[in-house]
Amino acid sequence: MKKYISIPFLIIITIIIITSIGLEYGNPRNMEFVKYYLEQGLNDTGAMNLVAAVYLDYRVYDTLIETVILFMAVAGITFFLQRRK
Amino acid sequence: MKSSNIIKTIAQKLFPFITLFGIYLILNGHLSPGGGFQGGVVLGTAVILLFLSYGIEATEQKVKMRCLSILEEAIILFFIFLGILGISTGYFFLKNFLPLGRAGQILSAGFMPLLNLVIGIKVAAGIFGIFYILFKYRGEI
Repeated sequence: MKKYISIPFLIIITIIIITSIGLEYGNPRNMEFVKYYLEQGLNDTGAMNLVAAVYLDYRVYDTLIETVILFMAVAGITFFLQRRK
Repeated sequence: MKSSNIIKTIAQKLFPFITLFGIYLILNGHLSPGGGFQGGVVLGTAVILLFLSYGIEATEQKVKMRCLSILEEAIILFFIFLGILGISTGYFFLKNFLPLGRAGQILSAGFMPLLNLVIGIKVAAGIFGIFYILFKYRGEI
């Protein structure tokens, strides 16, 4: 029974998410930050490599969570395979 | 698992070069293409090469898996500690609190080389940990 209750919630959440996305990819109105990164990246972060400037300064939270995700993967593999023996 | 003398010799001779290349990729991550993730994968692959050619017992004597797992868990805490240092110096979480330096040098861009090093060690330990667990508990390759 619980399974069927969750289906309307899923549909409602999907509709909300789809209708709330206002971004049009490729629209130059939404691409201001690209120009900002290219012009100001070296001044802001001091890194020659702009990819490193993005993933270690502007988006460093994503990098933190990405390392945590790798740790979760190792922990999950260890947990499931050590029980098998 | 037995491997021939040719494979053992080649692996032994290739190991320092692969390790050196991984360290180069990690330390130059903010200057040239590369970075923590890629360099970490290269470092992990170097250990996997030794593992594949020398077998599980010989590698377990060299690489202590207990230390590796403790290192892997402690390095995340060090990452978060670096973020908290950003708060304690008067900015926000994970702020680049070190001086930027002159662009183009190894010791520039604040704490980016440090973060690359942290991520590199983490990824190398993780890749080798996954491989080791899969090898040990799922049988021979």
